[in-house]
Amino acid sequence: MKKLISPRHVPTFSTPLHSNTGATTGWFRAIPWLMIFVLMMIGMVGVLSLYSAAHGAWRPWASMHAIRLGLGFTLMMVVAMIPIHFIRRYAILWWVLAIMLLAVLEVIGTGKGGVQRWVSIAGFNLQPSEPAKLAVIVMLAAYFHGLYPDMLRYIRTYIPAILIIMIPFTQVLLQPDLGTSLMLLLAASVVIFAAGIPRWMVMTVFGLVLAAIPIGWSMLYPYQKSRIMVFLNPDLDALGAGYQITQSKIALGSGGVVGKGYLQGSQSHLDFLPERQTDFIFTMIGEEFGFFGCIYVIGLYTALIFLLIRYSFAMKINFSRLLVIGVAAMISFYVTVNIAMVSGMLPVVGAPLPLISYGGTAMMTVFLGLGLVISAMLNEKDVHD
Amino acid sequence: MITRKAKQFEHTLSRRSLLLAGGQVALTSALVGRLFYLQIMESSRYEALSNRNRFDYKMLPPSRGRIFDSKGRLLAGNAEAYALNIVPSYTKDLYQSLRALSELIKLDHLYIDELMEKAEKQPSYLPLIIRDDLTQREVARVVVRGPELPGVSFDRIEKRIYPQGLLTGHLTGYVGRVSEDDITSGRVLPNMVNMQNGKSGVERALEEELRGLPGQERVLVNALGRPIKKSIEEAATPGTDIKLTIDINLQSYATSILRRGRNKPISYSDPKVQRALAADPELASAVSETEGFVFEDSLGRVVPPETGSIVVIDIETGALKTIVSTPTFDPNILSRRISNADWGTLVNHPRIPLLDRSIKGQYAPGSTFKMIVALAALEAGIINEKTRFFCSGHKDVGNARFHCWFKYGHGNVNVINALEQSCDVFFYELALKTGIQRIASMAKIFGIGLPTDVLIPGEKPGLMPDKKWKEQNIGQVWTPGETVVASIGQGYVLTTPIQLAVMMARLANGKFQISPQLKQGTPAPDAPEIGVSEASLSIIRRGMEAVLDGKKGTARNYQLDLDGVKMAGKTGTVQVKRITKAERDRGIVDNMDRPWKLRDHALFVGYAPMDKPKYAIAVVVEHGGSGSSAAAPVARDIMTYLFEQNL
Repeated sequence: MKKLISPRHVPTFSTPLHSNTGATTGWFRAIPWLMIFVLMMIGMVGVLSLYSAAHGAWRPWASMHAIRLGLGFTLMMVVAMIPIHFIRRYAILWWVLAIMLLAVLEVIGTGKGGVQRWVSIAGFNLQPSEPAKLAVIVMLAAYFHGLYPDMLRYIRTYIPAILIIMIPFTQVLLQPDLGTSLMLLLAASVVIFAAGIPRWMVMTVFGLVLAAIPIGWSMLYPYQKSRIMVFLNPDLDALGAGYQITQSKIALGSGGVVGKGYLQGSQSHLDFLPERQTDFIFTMIGEEFGFFGCIYVIGLYTALIFLLIRYSFAMKINFSRLLVIGVAAMISFYVTVNIAMVSGMLPVVGAPLPLISYGGTAMMTVFLGLGLVISAMLNEKDVHD
Repeated sequence: MITRKAKQFEHTLSRRSLLLAGGQVALTSALVGRLFYLQIMESSRYEALSNRNRFDYKMLPPSRGRIFDSKGRLLAGNAEAYALNIVPSYTKDLYQSLRALSELIKLDHLYIDELMEKAEKQPSYLPLIIRDDLTQREVARVVVRGPELPGVSFDRIEKRIYPQGLLTGHLTGYVGRVSEDDITSGRVLPNMVNMQNGKSGVERALEEELRGLPGQERVLVNALGRPIKKSIEEAATPGTDIKLTIDINLQSYATSILRRGRNKPISYSDPKVQRALAADPELASAVSETEGFVFEDSLGRVVPPETGSIVVIDIETGALKTIVSTPTFDPNILSRRISNADWGTLVNHPRIPLLDRSIKGQYAPGSTFKMIVALAALEAGIINEKTRFFCSGHKDVGNARFHCWFKYGHGNVNVINALEQSCDVFFYELALKTGIQRIASMAKIFGIGLPTDVLIPGEKPGLMPDKKWKEQNIGQVWTPGETVVASIGQGYVLTTPIQLAVMMARLANGKFQISPQLKQGTPAPDAPEIGVSEASLSIIRRGMEAVLDGKKGTARNYQLDLDGVKMAGKTGTVQVKRITKAERDRGIVDNMDRPWKLRDHALFVGYAPMDKPKYAIAVVVEHGGSGSSAAAPVARDIMTYLFEQNL
């Protein structure tokens, strides 16, 4: 306590995650094995679901998904090796790279009906809005890491933070991808909230957002408006835009308590369910395994998020703490938006269920984020040394 | 200070983290709550919706009952056929696919246009029926080209076939696709839209029995409506087989005898025939090239087959042994999608093959009506067997002169002579004394002017006029002259061939007003009694026996040449055009020299055996000439065949 506390080091307010005894086994014990176990469980659900989505076949999705999980796991471990201060120092580079990728997308991006979300790099379809989300979290964490707590009182402190968020937010919004841009905004807001923004500012922003909803509505694309209108009343267009929601609800509801059985989901296997391998995979799980299956999947994600929150409590480095909370928020929003969407609580916005939905970008983003989390945990001890 | 501030800040941060954790709890709870609502509280509703999504219920058409003749020979049956379907949404271009198909199977471009129109009106994922009568060979041809024709599929179906073809056109009738009218009139249920139902003849009359009960098939379909798996929920109950009283051999024989008449067959390829056909388009449209022959009359002219009708009926049971109407049609072609050429041949035929003359052809009965007049007079006690009238060849009523067919007169004749020679004047006298009312009521006992309620639908009732009828329908008072005309079966009186057969059957039976039966095994309904004295009936029968056996009988040349079986009957020659005085003075032109349409109808009614009647017959040869020369030989041949074959 006599030591002067630099602003970069937040005082310990929790017991350390691991006792720092053996020098050789320290790093091994620092790895969050419980989290990795939960990740593997989720990944397994993904592979099994995609096997079912292909009517009981490894191709085309399940085997590829397993390979991607392996790649993602490797990526996570590789990222975990990077010293966390290195990440923090070069956070700006990542952020700039993400913005540039988004800008490139404006020019060469490919997508359906004038909607640009994908960019092909070396044969891989990359959706730059996903890593951009993580870049914003890392960048914000790095920014707030260097601030004295006193500075949080001033509005000018938040101008760089707003720029960090709004530049990629606007780019994603203009793609146009309302869902991802809103999720980016929400995850970033959580980071700022966790950084200790004064309460009055939270209230003011909240009030302003409520006031801005009517203005925002007028700026939406017609298809976005129709999605929202149909969401509010699916019967408006039961065979058109409301079709997905209606069929998804039928699939979930008909699953009942224990479901129709693995590979037996009639809605999914008779093609009534659209996009069953990507955004609507949770519906298929719900149809085949019922309410219990849903609880199991939600339970796994909730366990993952609570583990991350628990890790964040133990973080002594402010950057690490904010980063972990940001990653937790990102995963939480993925899961919540996806499940709320397929169960008809939110409009269809196109949000994957991380690690279960088929598709590489979101999965890689999650593994990348979790790699950073592990890196932060492995580097905790450096602070005390 | 720093420490305190830091502690406070640390406190804020940990509260924030806890708030976020709380937020996560709230989100999770919302999701779980929503799923609880969907999967537990509303589960049954969604399960029902899911089932409605995945199952499609399809009607399984029952196998239609078959129709047999009295000896169990097939008149209408089912053959396996293939329906060709195409799902427009699976094709690249429906029109191109149809064009490609038209190179493999018969599909004219008009029909392709029709199909294109139909395709626009239904969802593109539903199959469109292109043809429902493909043969195995056609199927093979399409299957080979299958890869180039996406969306094309086959259904095995049953096709109605009529192995006797032309012989049973009017009798069995034909089937066709259920029409909108069939549904609105309640003849078929709406769930049978894809079925066929009887459109005419027995097919229509016994539709309910023949149809059977459709079954139900549950088809698991995907979101595109494409069937994945089928399971039979309820098997179809096949329709009942029907056995008719008809003997198809007799039907065949009667048809050929009637068509030939007194003419000689001549090869279609004969140059003479070709010349005649080229010169006379009406003749050309009345004959069929596929048959291979036409006819040549006694004057060497090329003529089409005779037009007319034959009905043979069992006088005890009313069972119809044969019921023929010529020209006829092939029910096979009408049961399918008829080609324009075939349809054209049918409707352009000058002698209307679609008209079933046996029940819908209404003819004046002519002299075959004389038995009724005689019976009425005998029963009224106006004459007896011995009463004679003098025939001078004509009779004047008021200032009108009515002629006998024999202009020199028959002299003094009694009722038996009058029937034998068909003396008109005798019946003029008789009718004037008896009056139209008595004649009409006697006629009705024998079924004249009343529908016989034969099974085949569409029967015409004929007409037996009386005073009341004339007042109501023409608004005039009945005149004695009309009674005179009616007495020889001309004027307003109209009968159908089946009515004439029924009349003869009742005259021969003598006790019951039997009615025609077509379906074997139906108990004969309790027929009302005739109520005419046997004495009067036997006088009439002796008159009819004399027609064939008497020296002056009008059909004396046409008695059966069989041991112990003789025929009794009556000829009738019906004028279709009034003979004017000028024509009579010039001398009546012989039938053969008149245009066909102006020739007399030739009629013959009879029964055999004479002593113990079994069958009654009615023959009508439209514009055939005289009843004795054109109709009596036909009846003789058929009766001979009946007894020789011991049918």
